[in-house]
Amino acid sequence: MTNANTTAASAARQTPAALSFEGVSFAYPAPEGASDAAAARPVLDGCDLSVPEGAFCLLVGDTGSGKTTLLRLAKPEIAPAGSLDGRVLACGRDVRELDGRASAETVGYVFQNPDSQIVCDTVWHEMAFGLENLAVPEPQMRRRVAEVSYFFGMEPWFSRPTAELSGGQRQVLALAATLAMRPRVLLLDEPTSMLDPIAEKSFASLLQRVNLELGVTVVVATHAPAPLAPFATMAVEVGEGAVRPVEVSALERRGRLADVAREDDAKPADGPRAADARASVRLRDVWWRYGREEPWVLRGCDLDVSAGEVRAIVGGNASGKSSLLSAVAQISRPQRGRVEVADAACQALLPQSPKALLTAESVEEELMEWSRAVGYARGDVLAAMGELGLAEGLLASHPYDLSGGQQQLVALAKVLLTRPRLLLLDEPTKGLDDAARAAVARAVSRVADSGATVLLVTHDLEFVRVCATSVSMIFDGKVISTEPTPEFFETSWLWGVSR
Amino acid sequence: MAGRRHVAFETAHASVPIVYFAGTILLALFALQPVYVALSLAGALAYSLACRGLRATALKLRWQLPMLAIVALANPLFSAQGTTLVLQLGFVRVYAESLAFGLTMGALLAASVLWFENAAATVSSESVLSLLGARMPVVSTMVVMVSQLVPQLMRRSRTVGGALDACTAARTPAAAPHVRAARLSGVLMSWAMEDSLERSDAMRARAWGASERRTTWRRQEFRARDAALLACVLGLIALNALLVALAMQAWWFYPTMAELGWWWGYVPYAALVLLPCALATYDEMSWRSLS
Repeated sequence: MTNANTTAASAARQTPAALSFEGVSFAYPAPEGASDAAAARPVLDGCDLSVPEGAFCLLVGDTGSGKTTLLRLAKPEIAPAGSLDGRVLACGRDVRELDGRASAETVGYVFQNPDSQIVCDTVWHEMAFGLENLAVPEPQMRRRVAEVSYFFGMEPWFSRPTAELSGGQRQVLALAATLAMRPRVLLLDEPTSMLDPIAEKSFASLLQRVNLELGVTVVVATHAPAPLAPFATMAVEVGEGAVRPVEVSALERRGRLADVAREDDAKPADGPRAADARASVRLRDVWWRYGREEPWVLRGCDLDVSAGEVRAIVGGNASGKSSLLSAVAQISRPQRGRVEVADAACQALLPQSPKALLTAESVEEELMEWSRAVGYARGDVLAAMGELGLAEGLLASHPYDLSGGQQQLVALAKVLLTRPRLLLLDEPTKGLDDAARAAVARAVSRVADSGATVLLVTHDLEFVRVCATSVSMIFDGKVISTEPTPEFFETSWLWGVSR
Repeated sequence: MAGRRHVAFETAHASVPIVYFAGTILLALFALQPVYVALSLAGALAYSLACRGLRATALKLRWQLPMLAIVALANPLFSAQGTTLVLQLGFVRVYAESLAFGLTMGALLAASVLWFENAAATVSSESVLSLLGARMPVVSTMVVMVSQLVPQLMRRSRTVGGALDACTAARTPAAAPHVRAARLSGVLMSWAMEDSLERSDAMRARAWGASERRTTWRRQEFRARDAALLACVLGLIALNALLVALAMQAWWFYPTMAELGWWWGYVPYAALVLLPCALATYDEMSWRSLS
């Protein structure tokens, strides 16, 4: 046991531990036909962790490191199937001995995806769902729902259908609905990875309030700890089957890409990259809206992108970023204005949800799907996977068995293999850990080096800084400024200072 | 809701409008008698104007008026009954009685469709489910999920279709419409399955199935006022059911139409069909006097 572990253990003795893992080892059942060696390799191997009552604990680690497995073991209803050794205690009791009611009132769990964890059609019904399941009497149910809604300021949208909420609101709803059951420990699995930075920050500060004002012990598994680090009281890194403590202050610096990318010489040279002046994309006075009665999303939008450029489009939610990309991809036809795309005959789009591109039974079939149409071989597939840091062992896996981050990389590899002259990317780094973001930055730079044009829409300004050659800012349905990347960051008040 | 106007029964318990519309629609479907049909159509139109406005009502009528005309004109062609010959086209004899039957039937259909639409504009699926939820939690949860699933599938099919269209590599000869459709449904299916696994985890994490008994959150209580209103509506429906039965016995189309005259029995029916419009108008008037 390391020194830090010993300190954590002695701290745990002073205050009762809200959540503790004692010598926990876990292995998934081996797939049929797998060798014994593969079966024997555990995801977690003798993990000890003690989270004192009232702590705000971050579980960090790369995608696939076992964070989610560790978290789910503390909630037996959703624990993965496999062999478990050791004990998991919540508030001093073995979680496997808790009945349904005790489990709900001890441990709450919030999932990653804001879309699939909402069960009911309206906000009020979603808030009541867990309490209804626990057969809480109606007056008590009203009281609990009212208090949680008051705490989160949800009254303005309490009657709304859940389908109309933004991703950020849905995630707050998932948190509130879990808290209505008044758990003493709250576990969250990558709760902000699908949110934009602003929604992420407000979610993080809500979590801090839950921790400080309600005294709930919070444990968050995340691969991007920087936004949560200021609120955390402790942090552990999960990796190679073990759990080891890390300094919280060290986590605030994570998420920076510059150093990683520079080492690999991915940072673009100052000034435009060997750009010939050939226009690749030209939009003139484009107006677009979803329907006749809807408000305009693009309102007289102009855009010029030259071949060989990596152009980042940045802007807030609902500013029209994704609509602009759809207009360039010619998925949606503008109601007014002209769209000219020089390379429309050889383009590719990575959509915001990678699942939209994934259909095959295995990663190999998936990546080979367009091989005949485009003319590439299995060797190219392996090279593309290597470039993005995807292990060759994944070839046989079903795309849906991969983590969200791996799905994103497979979809990107599939798009890159078509060697597009115009590459359109919608939030390419969503849900990726730092290593994967750096790999994507390198891959995108390479595409542009080959003379193709890249247009990407993103909230990840750090990614923009290392891989874009120019930045357009979109606001109120128009492109309001376009500058080379260094100038954009120098003149930016918002992002310039955070460097 | 944008452009929403005054809706009847808004402050009443959901059971009141549900019983009202169920009863009114049933009566409207059975009362195949010109005066009843005319009253029902007038009441349905009046409420549609009050709760949805002129534009939305006119848009609906664009489909319903031709339907009315088709039924009115087609009936004499298929059923050559009656005694008063209006015109003869070759072998086809058109009788006034048959024309009147078609017209009444067409108006009845148009009125019924309008009543259904009025009901949909007044009673939300949420309130129907809240009545259902207390008795059948599993069924109501399933209905809620399915009703959310359909629009989500539509949205996703647009996303997937758009992504395919935007990748030129996908535009191969193999990408014939049926291949594309199969592919689209494959993606949507696996996506939905994946979601359902996660959703069932989310449900279990929130104690779904943890207790044999389940309570229900009722957003609206059934108060004495609702009971009184419900009793009035039920009484009015029962009285009218009796009167409709009487009126139907005294009315026939063939071989010659019975005579129509003034009858006090029409008054309760007029009261029934004009009730929602009256309530909505009263609501609007009280707002005006407030402002």
